[in-house]
Amino acid sequence: METSKKRLIAVLFFLVALFLSGGASQGAETITSIGNPTKVNGGDHTNFPVFELPIPEHESEKSYLGLSGTGTFKIGQINAPVLLIEVFSFYCPHCQRTASQINEFYQRIQERSDLKERVKMIGIGVSNSAYEVDAYQERYRVPFPLFPDESIEISQMLGVKGTPTFIGVKADGKGTQKRFYFREGGFQDTEQFLAEIIKLSGLK
Amino acid sequence: MRNRKWNWRHLLCLSVFLALAGAAAAHGQSGGFTEFIYPVEKLKPTDSVPTLKVGDVAPDFTLPAVEGGKVSLRQYAGKKNVVISFVPAAWTPVCSAQWPGYNIAKGLFDKHDAILLGITVDNIPTLYAWTKQMCGPSEKLWFPVLSDFYPHGAVASKYGVLRSEGVSERALFIINKKGVITYIDVHDINERPLLDDLAKALERVNRQ
Repeated sequence: METSKKRLIAVLFFLVALFLSGGASQGAETITSIGNPTKVNGGDHTNFPVFELPIPEHESEKSYLGLSGTGTFKIGQINAPVLLIEVFSFYCPHCQRTASQINEFYQRIQERSDLKERVKMIGIGVSNSAYEVDAYQERYRVPFPLFPDESIEISQMLGVKGTPTFIGVKADGKGTQKRFYFREGGFQDTEQFLAEIIKLSGLK
Repeated sequence: MRNRKWNWRHLLCLSVFLALAGAAAAHGQSGGFTEFIYPVEKLKPTDSVPTLKVGDVAPDFTLPAVEGGKVSLRQYAGKKNVVISFVPAAWTPVCSAQWPGYNIAKGLFDKHDAILLGITVDNIPTLYAWTKQMCGPSEKLWFPVLSDFYPHGAVASKYGVLRSEGVSERALFIINKKGVITYIDVHDINERPLLDDLAKALERVNRQ
């Protein structure tokens, strides 16, 4: 084969490889279960979408989020500058496997007097009914409030493609919230994850 | 001339590296197993003719289990209520996210003195690999998973849930300790049944 032809083939092969290297990681449209921690970014710092969630029935959960009464609430009403949302599913094996680690992460925050009142957590059960979310909470003794997203509407609004996904939201002090963190998949090290959240949220 | 040859060879090496790196990234992103789930288009919601109704005596069957040995329906007669979960096929989207939920809902089944039998038309090695990734390397599903592979779909057919393409419906049957069917949900194959409905049906099983 002539060298020029070989070069042409090499260039074509290179372009195909380049396409594969970037394109192969594109996820499917359906919400799937994500295993090892993979894609983390600092969020896009755009305004966080506005949606409503039901005010929890349990007084302890109400008081944790700084809410009262009944009906619905918006994320901005939660009494902390930083909120970490775990989007999970009752049916997701990877969420099940990381449940105890997430509880541990919550406990670490509760033990830190400088963070306890400033970082709150909630979970959103994608495509789960209230019954399924309650069953998940009971099974893993999840200490923070969980909410069902049976219609997937909220998860789609949040750009979630798989579970678990962690989203960090920060109040900008002007009544709106910005997304500062987006992680698809679980985390390996609780301390490292906490340090990441503290750093990217600007708490320190 | 020599330099030119090195150039295109380098480019080839770089290409292979990029392709491999991309594949590795895709593997990592989807968590090791998710990328093995075969994408399925929306299917006809149900595609079979019912042969059974609530109140009928459940047909007996004996099928090989992934854990080894065989399981018969009659072995639970007088001892346990039985929930049968037919799912269409291993490594498909909705099915792969149905049994992992049942796997953490053992308490619900125990509460109603029920056992769960998971059945698909796949063969044992396929079911072994598929169920293994549902619960981690050191654990296993708490309920028996049975293979209705040969004669193909014979039990699914007996229960009126074998579809024309050879897979089963996504169907739930509850059979009480007397061997009588108390609940049938031949579900839209594209959707996962809510655990709520199964829980409600189990609430009634000991009264029927």
